[in-house]
Amino acid sequence: MKINARQICFILIVYTAVTKLLIYPTMLANLCGRDVLFPAMINFLIEGIVIWSVSFLCSRTDKTFFELLTDNIGKVGAKIVYGFFAAYFILMTIIPMFEQMHYVHTIFYDTVPSLLVFLPFFMFAVYAASKNLMNIGRCADICLPIFAFTMAFLFIMAFQEVEWDNLLPILQTPAKKIIGGVSGTAFRFFEPCWLLMFMGHFKYKKWDAAKFTLSYAAGAAIVLLFLAVFIGIYGDIATSRTFAVSRTSIYFPAIETIGRIDLIMLYVLESVMLFALVINIQLSVHAMTFCTGYSDKKVWAVAVNAVLLIILITCDHNFHNINQFYSNWIWIAVAVFTVAVPLLAWALRRKNES
Amino acid sequence: MKVKFDVSKLSVIIYWIIVLALLGLFFSNDFGLVDIHKTAIITAVGIDSDVDGEVLVTCEIAAPQPSQSGDNIKYTQVQGSGLTIADAMNEVNSKTGFYPKLQFCKLILIGETCKDQELFRVLGCFYRKNYSELTALVAMCEGKASDMLAMSSPVSDMTSEAIRKALSEEIEKSANATSASLKDIALSGYSKSHACYMPFVEANVPGTSQNGGNGDNVGGDSSQGGGQSQGGGQNQSSQSGSSGGGGEGGQSGQGQSGQSGQSGSSGEPMEFTARRTAIFTDGKFKGILDERQSFALAILKEDIRLAVLPCDAEGTHYTLGLKNVKGGISLKINDGVPMLEIKVSASAQIQGARVVVQPSETANDDVVSEHVLKGANEEMQERIAALLKTVKENDCDILGVKELLYKYHTKYFEAFKDDLLSRMQVACKVDIFSVN
Repeated sequence: MKINARQICFILIVYTAVTKLLIYPTMLANLCGRDVLFPAMINFLIEGIVIWSVSFLCSRTDKTFFELLTDNIGKVGAKIVYGFFAAYFILMTIIPMFEQMHYVHTIFYDTVPSLLVFLPFFMFAVYAASKNLMNIGRCADICLPIFAFTMAFLFIMAFQEVEWDNLLPILQTPAKKIIGGVSGTAFRFFEPCWLLMFMGHFKYKKWDAAKFTLSYAAGAAIVLLFLAVFIGIYGDIATSRTFAVSRTSIYFPAIETIGRIDLIMLYVLESVMLFALVINIQLSVHAMTFCTGYSDKKVWAVAVNAVLLIILITCDHNFHNINQFYSNWIWIAVAVFTVAVPLLAWALRRKNES
Repeated sequence: MKVKFDVSKLSVIIYWIIVLALLGLFFSNDFGLVDIHKTAIITAVGIDSDVDGEVLVTCEIAAPQPSQSGDNIKYTQVQGSGLTIADAMNEVNSKTGFYPKLQFCKLILIGETCKDQELFRVLGCFYRKNYSELTALVAMCEGKASDMLAMSSPVSDMTSEAIRKALSEEIEKSANATSASLKDIALSGYSKSHACYMPFVEANVPGTSQNGGNGDNVGGDSSQGGGQSQGGGQNQSSQSGSSGGGGEGGQSGQGQSGQSGQSGSSGEPMEFTARRTAIFTDGKFKGILDERQSFALAILKEDIRLAVLPCDAEGTHYTLGLKNVKGGISLKINDGVPMLEIKVSASAQIQGARVVVQPSETANDDVVSEHVLKGANEEMQERIAALLKTVKENDCDILGVKELLYKYHTKYFEAFKDDLLSRMQVACKVDIFSVN
């Protein structure tokens, strides 16, 4: 077994939350005004059901998803599906990668840094992606306490400024806009695919399905609380405040006297964000090895990162358009790979006998 | 003994070292080192406007100086102009060589010359993504912002710091100023109320004070004669003040400022006060609240720790200290009629009285007699009434009543939003009681 259930729980708590703290709150505010909690809840609810579904499936079989596919649609079919998943993970990395780059450039630099500044990330990504699933689990073990500490600190610094009634009135946004918020931000939700890839690589124990689902709910609760804090602080002007996590703590009274101490927490949290960003690359490489049968992860790690690097360099000035494209269309891919395929996995025959 | 040299293990170590070193560079901004001798940090911005709408931006700049004596920061003003703030900042950039990101800008001073401009056009650049954090305090000032930033102060070498002391959180908690940050202004300005307010800063000659007030007035001779020669806020304030009750209740002596007109420009250090408040609706300047209206506004909107309320009772002037001040508004709809409920409660103790003090009686200062409490209640009611009158007359919803309507009675919002301020009934309950 390469990863254990505890580590998966940590991944679902930490990475679920940490991938939705930068542009996601601003996008939601832009799409749904003050009603940011409801589209987020709907997305989390849908994904939570899929998480529970996949977790429960894990209790019914010890096989990996690849083995299940092979048993049902043959090895070629399984390879094709894994090929699609490898591409899907790359697709899901693009926006978070740009987001991270702009975040680092904007928040951590007083001047305008060059693209080169972000490129060391790819060295880290190549190294991490060349490791196996055990590495992902160990990273999660490290990330959980860091995440818990930094988020607690950032929340404490933010609470004093929050005006909770900025969230009012509740559910006055037209349903069309709420649905637009759900679909427009759906590309931020890909956690069930992680679980699908972990399937068969950990030893399922009793109640693990409940633990996974509750872990995901915990991650969702952190995001929802953060969204409430963000809107509570910025209200109707939240739409102009990108990189939300760096904007909520700046009104802490001590900052006036001793400076941006919150940046220390943001630096530390950034390390967790990097691991969360890399997990999609790691799983893309993982899927690629199954798809091709060529198991040298170093080669695929370099290849996947090369693709991402080319995208980063060629599309550096088109982030807005890419983000808009994702917001308008990628919900379809999410509906297929994050929702439909994991749910359809139940239809796969789980025993050797037909 | 033969030592095996494991290349694969070494490569992992080397790889980690490279990654850590690059991450170190990545996070420490060592790629973007800035020579401190060429650095200039913008600590405050003053904005003026001419009749054509072109903006003149005066940046107070802290330039680090190499020094052994400890006096190693030099403050100076650099100006730029243009059709937008960004144009002007670009000119400042060309003069200072520093990328003007305004991360350290703590004060934005808007000159009276901007009164005819749309507020959020003037301030627009500050709300653009990532241009600045929204923590900077914003205030309107008497006369030109560039003149005020050029004044010296006995309080601090840094003029903006001296001004910020008059807008500080501590002063705000005593209801002597209504400070506002960029975020506060945008939140209320873009809310359903479409109104916002900011403190109005005045410069006064040190050692002078207004006479004839009832305990509210501070400051004194104006630095620029702004009250009279420029015909700006001071006159407007007198209008709004008197209409709102500045002259009611036997008050007198307000608006007595502005005589010298030379002090600031001659280099004499000046004192800054911000006891009045500039108000805006839909980004348009609507007037200036006087000290008493500003006090009422602060009581209702801010978190007050200790406020001083002068009042008269049975012909004697008292100065009361108000503790545990709880002020706020709520909106109810009773049978289709909007009702604004104003509640203020505070515990009072006597801080001063215009009588000969008897040492034996000072021990009872915490026990405030009924007639003094009645006078304090009436004084507070008058101040709130004066504030409400100005709010209604100017249709300037700085109390955020329309926002309350939208948040808590959304179904009535469309019906009431246009004439809510004139239509609403007001129930004001003030309860000032003795500390003991």
